[in-house]
Amino acid sequence: MKKILILLLIVAFSLSGCEKDDICDPNTPTTPRLIVDFYDIQDPTKTKNVTDLAIVGDGMTTGILFPSESRIQVPLQLTEDTTKYSFILNSKNSNPALIFTDVIEFNYSRKTVYVSRACGYKTVFDLNNDTTLPNPYVLNNDPTASTGNWIKFLTVENYNIENENETHIKIYF
Amino acid sequence: MKMRHTSKYIFSICLVLSSLLIQAQAKKTDSIPVKTNRYGLRFGVDLSKIARSFYEDKYKGLEVVGDYRLTKKYYLGAELGNENKTVNDDQLNFTTKGSYFKAGFNYNIYDNWLDMENLIYIGMRYGVSTFSQTLNSYKIYNANPYFPDTPAIASGEKFSGLSAQWAEVVVGINAKVFNNFYVGFSLRANLLFSNKKPNTFDNLYIPGFNRTYDGNFGAGFNYTVSYFLPIYKKKVETTLVKKDVKKK
Repeated sequence: MKKILILLLIVAFSLSGCEKDDICDPNTPTTPRLIVDFYDIQDPTKTKNVTDLAIVGDGMTTGILFPSESRIQVPLQLTEDTTKYSFILNSKNSNPALIFTDVIEFNYSRKTVYVSRACGYKTVFDLNNDTTLPNPYVLNNDPTASTGNWIKFLTVENYNIENENETHIKIYF
Repeated sequence: MKMRHTSKYIFSICLVLSSLLIQAQAKKTDSIPVKTNRYGLRFGVDLSKIARSFYEDKYKGLEVVGDYRLTKKYYLGAELGNENKTVNDDQLNFTTKGSYFKAGFNYNIYDNWLDMENLIYIGMRYGVSTFSQTLNSYKIYNANPYFPDTPAIASGEKFSGLSAQWAEVVVGINAKVFNNFYVGFSLRANLLFSNKKPNTFDNLYIPGFNRTYDGNFGAGFNYTVSYFLPIYKKKVETTLVKKDVKKK
């Protein structure tokens, strides 16, 4: 009899004590960034590392620096269907003549997708893939341009930006 | 949140202690060993839901409970309730409204002395709930914020016609306080086996089932006050014989 009561008490305590922490697990796929891979224009099958590539969003004062990578992650704006970045190569070089800047505008549509209680919703993107819409990317504000100051060529690998495991854009330089 | 848990503990302790006290008093009384069992209908309300309706912001709930004694040990048990709860999490704010019904049985494992009529029971329930959810506002989770953070987005989208079914394992006590009035407490472990969710949201709270977790499990409890309405009596002879033997 008393044992049962003690057991009941223990169950009561353990049950009311088990409130799960509602923290969004970093491994949960949430809002993805645009994945850009860099390739060598001389040998287009090979990836090529960028040197001190700084990307600065339009209207932002600070940028994101990639010291030496062939794959970069570009955050897109969640409130607009367009995001414009300055891609500054060799941004840390002391010689201004070796610093090259190309402006790329990404145009896309957004979708809101439910994730979980802790994470809430995420946004996934579709790069524009319709001639009636603005180009998926615009180089240096010229919709017909395909070559920039340091960027030699750009291709869209994946129009759907749903996770960060695949390449969305390839840049050859 | 901590405060609410503390008060839950204090209430549980008081309840268990009070039931001990009742038994202690009953042991003292010496009466003629003619044992009859009363059969009838017990009905009451869940005090915890009424209390929460007052002290918890944005919660309204009511649950009526009832059981009917079938045999010496078995009781039919049922709960009928309605809940309206707004959950305000970091990423989501939503309101769940709906009704539920649970039916099943209780098995009394407590051997009552003389004319005591207390219960310590285990039981099972089948629960069903129909409800709607309104997504009041939500946030977009961005693990890598660079641009200014997006504020919570007001939605107001309502998802109707949702439903869920589950099974409950119940452990509880029901102690007679005076006359035919009972105070009870029960704990429930829930297993969800059918859950009709909206396409673009989840059933994060189900009336009667309570909060849902990643898996199918859930938990619940109630504190009841109920009144026993006796309908008929049955004499118990077998236990009397046993006790006489023991006395010799």
